Amino acid sequence: MRNLWLVARHEYRRTVLRRGFLIGTLAVPVGLAALVALAIIVETSGQDQRPLGYVDQAGVLAAVRPASATAADDQIEVRAYSNVTAALAALEAGEIQAFFVFPADYRATLRTDLYYLEAPPATEVWGQFDDFVRANLVAGLPADVQSRLLEGPAITVVDLASGREFSEQGIINVILPVAASFLFFITTLSASGYLLRVVADEKENRTVEVMLTSVTPAELIGGKAAGLLAAVLTQLAVFALAVVAGLVVAGSYVPELREAVMPWSYLGVMLLFFVPTFALLTAVMVAIGAALPDVQQGQQIVGLFNLAFMAPLFLLTVILENPSHPAAIFMTLFPTSAFLTISLRWGLGVVPLWQLALSWVLLVVTSLAVAWAAARLFRLGMLHYGQPLSLKTAWAAVRGE
Amino acid sequence: MSMVEAVQLVKHFGATPAVRDVSFAVEPGEIFGLLGPNGAGKTTTIRMLLDIFKPDSGRVSVFGGPLDLAGKRRIGYLPEERGLYKDQPLEPTLLYLATLKGLDEAAARRRLKDWLERLELSDHRRKKVQELSKGMQQKAQIIATLLHQPDLIVIDEPFSGLDPVNTRLVKEILDEQRAAGRAIIMSTHQMHQVEALCNRIALINAGRAVLYGPVAEIKRRFAGNAVAVTGQGDFDHVPGVAETTPENGTWHLGLEIGADPQAVLRTLLARPGVKIERFELAEPSLDDIFVTVVRDKSAQPEVAHA
Repeated sequence: MRNLWLVARHEYRRTVLRRGFLIGTLAVPVGLAALVALAIIVETSGQDQRPLGYVDQAGVLAAVRPASATAADDQIEVRAYSNVTAALAALEAGEIQAFFVFPADYRATLRTDLYYLEAPPATEVWGQFDDFVRANLVAGLPADVQSRLLEGPAITVVDLASGREFSEQGIINVILPVAASFLFFITTLSASGYLLRVVADEKENRTVEVMLTSVTPAELIGGKAAGLLAAVLTQLAVFALAVVAGLVVAGSYVPELREAVMPWSYLGVMLLFFVPTFALLTAVMVAIGAALPDVQQGQQIVGLFNLAFMAPLFLLTVILENPSHPAAIFMTLFPTSAFLTISLRWGLGVVPLWQLALSWVLLVVTSLAVAWAAARLFRLGMLHYGQPLSLKTAWAAVRGE
Repeated sequence: MSMVEAVQLVKHFGATPAVRDVSFAVEPGEIFGLLGPNGAGKTTTIRMLLDIFKPDSGRVSVFGGPLDLAGKRRIGYLPEERGLYKDQPLEPTLLYLATLKGLDEAAARRRLKDWLERLELSDHRRKKVQELSKGMQQKAQIIATLLHQPDLIVIDEPFSGLDPVNTRLVKEILDEQRAAGRAIIMSTHQMHQVEALCNRIALINAGRAVLYGPVAEIKRRFAGNAVAVTGQGDFDHVPGVAETTPENGTWHLGLEIGADPQAVLRTLLARPGVKIERFELAEPSLDDIFVTVVRDKSAQPEVAHA
């Protein structure tokens, strides 16, 4: 156990101090900071803050602001004008950035005219005016009806088998898991690729001979995998902190981001699938690194295996259009593609509990079987210098012959 | 009690026999030479001793029994060339390897300081291994082998890449280790180093131990199997002679096993144009013995005896 810990600690330090790892780890927070800064700049300085005007020839607006916006100080001012001429004069004088005209037949046509000089109002400003109009249109209705109409529909999909719910509200809570899963998976692939290099290097350098006089193959591989897992989790923790910090800061300026909530159930399920997926990837990399004579040949083969793990990306449109498509279900259950498929489907709807359970069992069983075979290949392959193990020899090693 | 006892070791790779019925023992306080041509089975034998490979049959006993984790910690192993992490700084790499052998980090650090100074690597301790010269890397590997003060030292080509000064230094170190009662198994092709250092040897050829015993005794056994000749004429291709080497005006003729020196003399005297000024039996070098035995296809395996 002491040796396992020593190998894990060594591998962790070795990984996190690599230039590539440091750059990769810092790139996400730096990139996020740049995005947040850009969003804030656009939100604050790039927006015309002059008032909007309107001419109400239909008599539908009573200058009522929506309840949620009345206290906000970042709301654009809305000015009423009695006729188009007065509004045009204000526009030309630069007192307002644009004005809407509600013609007399507005209730029948729902048509408005927008007047501006150089550029139409920003989306955010336009959105505020839309809210203003909606609040006025429902002003005569009872308060609870008003509130219901202004909030819009809230559709919740419930999976009868598991009781799990999927809500369409808060698009940010849909996007976050999908974006996070990509980041999660790319990080894991990159780390396991590094493990391949480490194993192949040790074989090429014959360091493994020295190591095997001090530790058992299980301690060596287990320690490396544990060290690498800790490094991946460190990187993901940095990413998570950066995302949370970004959301907190950007949330002060971008109202949509305030709706974001931590997707705990998603994180829990993904963690459950992450560990065996990581073990499966690790075992595959160890087997390839041990069976092939050098890093270059190993990386060529790894490309093929990565395809099996990245397969859901090639069927992304199918999954997006119909998350319950048979191909999506197949990839949910197939061990190499399970992690990414479930992650993608999670943001789009409900993944039935039976699929989650069966997929997890298949993944764990496959990971254990591959790890067992990889350990047998490792012992023979790591001492087989200069040429790759033939399939026949590899198979014989796995069977313990 | 022998430090190492190998009894009738057999190992095949597929249908190819790599080691066939090899037996020997290594005692405390001796340097044991494990010799043989390339591909003879030396490295496979070493790997079986170190429990990296399991023998197909036969038995290995290290420190009086099967090799366990505690036993592995008492072994220092220097593989031929390489063996260290190339992309890592020297000092942490050596500390890491020492802690894997059971040494606590503080003790390892203290000992390492002395070793780095002795082998003149102190100024390079923060450099990556790949930035060191071949000789420096070899010295670093020697430190990795000895830092945890092993009782059994297994070294493969320890003088590889070393200049004469460092070669002498490493020989001194090996002598010190022997004097301290440690057992050393040394595999090398440098026969003069074997002669200078080894108490006993085993010569493995084509997977079999064809020569085994104390160096002095083996040399006595092969005395008469070489002659030194001074004179003029053609001394090549003489029947009964395995190898002809000129040495400072003297021809050194290594004889085939069983060849009669008197018959060789008569053949030479009968050659036209050959003048013999001096003809004497020479004590063969280990190099001669190595060549003679390896070339002799009929050489029979030796039965292990101390």
